[in-house]
Amino acid sequence: MAATRRLHKELEDIKKSGLKSFRDIQVDEQNILTWHGLIVPENAPYNKGAFRIEINFPAEYPFKPPKIAFKTKIYHPNIDEKGQVCLPIISAENWKPATKTDQVIQALVALVNDPEPEHPLRADLAEEYSKDKKKFMKNAEEFTKKNSEKRPSD
Amino acid sequence: MHCRSRILASKIDPHLTPSAGGHINCVRNHKERFCTKVWTKQEKKSTMSNNDNESDVEYSETEECGYDDYYNPCNDADNETMNQKKCDPEHFEFECLTVDQVDRLLNELVETLSSRLRLTPSLSKLLLHAHNWALDSVIRMYLEDSSQLLVQSKLKPEKPPVVKTLSKTLVCPICIMMLPKDVFCGIGCSHLFCKGCWNTYLETQVMHGVSTATECMGCSVMATEDFVLPLLATPQLKERYVRHAFSDYVRSHPELRFCPGPNCNIIIRAKENKSKRIVCNSCKTTFCFRCGSDYHAPTDCETIRHWLTKCADDSETANYISAHTKVCPKCQICIEKNGGCNHMQCYGCKHDFCWMCLGDWKTHGSEYYRCSRYEENPNVANESSHARAKEALKKYLHYFERWENHAKSLRLEEQTLQRIRERIQCKVMTGTDGTWIDWQCLLDAAALLARCRYTLQYTYPYAYYMDAGPRKELFEYQQAQLEAEIENLSWKVERAETTDRGDLGIQMDVCEKRRTTLLQDFLES
Repeated sequence: MAATRRLHKELEDIKKSGLKSFRDIQVDEQNILTWHGLIVPENAPYNKGAFRIEINFPAEYPFKPPKIAFKTKIYHPNIDEKGQVCLPIISAENWKPATKTDQVIQALVALVNDPEPEHPLRADLAEEYSKDKKKFMKNAEEFTKKNSEKRPSD
Repeated sequence: MHCRSRILASKIDPHLTPSAGGHINCVRNHKERFCTKVWTKQEKKSTMSNNDNESDVEYSETEECGYDDYYNPCNDADNETMNQKKCDPEHFEFECLTVDQVDRLLNELVETLSSRLRLTPSLSKLLLHAHNWALDSVIRMYLEDSSQLLVQSKLKPEKPPVVKTLSKTLVCPICIMMLPKDVFCGIGCSHLFCKGCWNTYLETQVMHGVSTATECMGCSVMATEDFVLPLLATPQLKERYVRHAFSDYVRSHPELRFCPGPNCNIIIRAKENKSKRIVCNSCKTTFCFRCGSDYHAPTDCETIRHWLTKCADDSETANYISAHTKVCPKCQICIEKNGGCNHMQCYGCKHDFCWMCLGDWKTHGSEYYRCSRYEENPNVANESSHARAKEALKKYLHYFERWENHAKSLRLEEQTLQRIRERIQCKVMTGTDGTWIDWQCLLDAAALLARCRYTLQYTYPYAYYMDAGPRKELFEYQQAQLEAEIENLSWKVERAETTDRGDLGIQMDVCEKRRTTLLQDFLES
């Protein structure tokens, strides 16, 4: 009950704030615990496309953190092939019940824009990113063009 | 008289763990099994009548050598204790405390701090916990800059809390409920949440084992127990919180360690954080104070961890290669080793040989016992990588085999001790051979044997990681010396009679001397 009330409020606030980097938010009226949205990064090489994500809130929310998964394939050192992402703000140890979903999304967008090769989920990409940035940018751009979603026009 | 009283005192020494010698089984075609019985009646009677008086004299003489200094740490005069501190490389001062004693110890520190600085006990507790219970330095830092210390320790927000509206109701940012102001509370930062949300949050934390590390729901200011406990709904939750907090306090205190024994509640206290031997006075678990794993002198904590991981990784191969039975080198009979002693005597042909190298035992009795030493192939550097890998495996197996073998011997000697105990019980009860006291030296010898073999077992990982050179040669020489004497002792323990006390005493002394010498030279303090 607490989860539902809080999520309705957060959803309302996020929609009102009109984030440029997180759009097209879709929530099933029957199930407020699952959100879908589109991440629109600003930095190269990811600014050639957009990426669908799914946010899953546990029934115990906000006492337990939400989980985020990428539904669009992405060439990124911190996001693996299954779409799992390592985001400290929503890890069980760091989670604060007062943290709001828009803060989580902003942290996620920041991570997409600026990869952290020091804490990689994909070691191969982290190595490429740190050792041969040019090659990484080229590969990531090609991958983005081929696999990602279309960016919204406005 | 002097000697007798010392022997008695040694019996109550908690350092002596029970173990004993084994005996040999020869297996013919895996069906027939012949045992060389230790302590046969005829042997016993004959030795009894021949040597009884003589051995008593011998025994007294051997006592003069002073090995009893070693296991008599609390019984001697002050100067002897001092002496023993200097020459015993394993000496370590520690005490075994109960939960209540530790609770009192910690509370005393808390009370001192709270009265000196006029802080609440619960805040003092967290402050000490955050600074590893270093009372003096906490007081000093507090007097220098109390605010900075509290902010650094996450017990106070960086910025002073902002007083919000004066309205009678507030919206809880967690559950988005509009509630009267008096159901809101916080830790002293600017974050206020309703009690219902605090209840749920703190319950979740406690159920995850988080106690002293409980933070505010909105920032990283720590919650004291004065804040948490009243907000926990049930006595079970409160109890759980207190229990977890206590473990946290013990872990943050540099002088305290939980005994790793199963279901043991004893807490060890020692002034120095060294990798020294602790024997829990309640469950008798022996462990290293620094790393908490099985005691491992002369090897250090880091090395033993490498070795144990390596053994866990490779054990299957090694087990496959080191079979459980060997063939008598003289008559080819199949022999199963079920005693701890590596000095084997074939039941069939009476050939004495060494279980490790299958060489004649006669060559082992002298200075030139080399069975523990690994001979490196000097040409290895010139050979292919395949040969090098083979050589590396061979080297590892050499050490692993000996490590495993002594572990196995220790277990088998423990079984033998049980047999010796039963035998003593039987003899004493029927009143045929001596009194209980007459037999004690055998139990002491068995305990000493276990202790020596244990150290010997742990010399193998040490040697494995040692670089070749004169120091390694010295180590392996001493190791070989120790090993030879241990096998002699094991042989004697398996076959001893009450009347062998003198002989056994000498052997015990020699063994312990060798062990202490090795530790003195190689145990890093």
